[in-house]
Amino acid sequence: MKESLLDIICCPLDKHDLELSVDEREDDEEIVSGTLTCTDCGEAYPIEDGIPNLLPPDMREA
Amino acid sequence: MAERRGLADPVYAPAEDSGLLAEAAAARARGTVLEVGTGSGWVAERVADVDGVERVVGSDVNPHACRRARDRGVEAVCANLLDPFRGAAFDAVLFNPPYLPTDPDAEWDDWQEAALSGGASGRDLIEPFLDDAGRVLAPSGVALLLVSSLAGFGEVIEYALDGGFRAETVREESFPYETLSVLALTMDN
Repeated sequence: MKESLLDIICCPLDKHDLELSVDEREDDEEIVSGTLTCTDCGEAYPIEDGIPNLLPPDMREA
Repeated sequence: MAERRGLADPVYAPAEDSGLLAEAAAARARGTVLEVGTGSGWVAERVADVDGVERVVGSDVNPHACRRARDRGVEAVCANLLDPFRGAAFDAVLFNPPYLPTDPDAEWDDWQEAALSGGASGRDLIEPFLDDAGRVLAPSGVALLLVSSLAGFGEVIEYALDGGFRAETVREESFPYETLSVLALTMDN
């Protein structure tokens, strides 16, 4: 995902901002893996293979 | 039928409804666009080439679909409907929902079912989408919703009007078992 996606996405549970922590970046722009954490409720959402998984925890695939 | 619809594949393949939605988007989508339930990303990829469209994000509840869409070059987000999107973030939101009315006892409980089944009424995903669409649309934004007569065209219109939208049919095509329409929904303000 691109960092500018943060202007568009929010926590699915309470709509607060997400804080980005990057594990792996590609070509400076694309974030391949990392975590998005809600600044309010603290729920963490993984970024894997460039795709943020913003499903609520009870809908994530096991 | 199973082979034609590609039921062995966990991702919905583009069909007549996808083409109709892409045509409507070419006429009406501008600025920052979200395609909800992007599936293979086929519609989103086409919308990215439309004049005046600056950015297209594709979301899907199905992680297989998200990967497929990303492989096509679509910015993908794994999401349930509009849940993780900010208020007023989009100039256009597109949705070709799962709309086949389905007997609960006959449901398959897999990704193809999630892509096709709209519950007993056919509107299980359409109604929550309409409940939240006004929130994510920028002022003067438009939601383009594919509606099949199988899900009840009149019922969908009525639900949208009750939710404060104005509705206009921008595309319509009849098939032997259903009529497909694309509604352009704008907020009354």
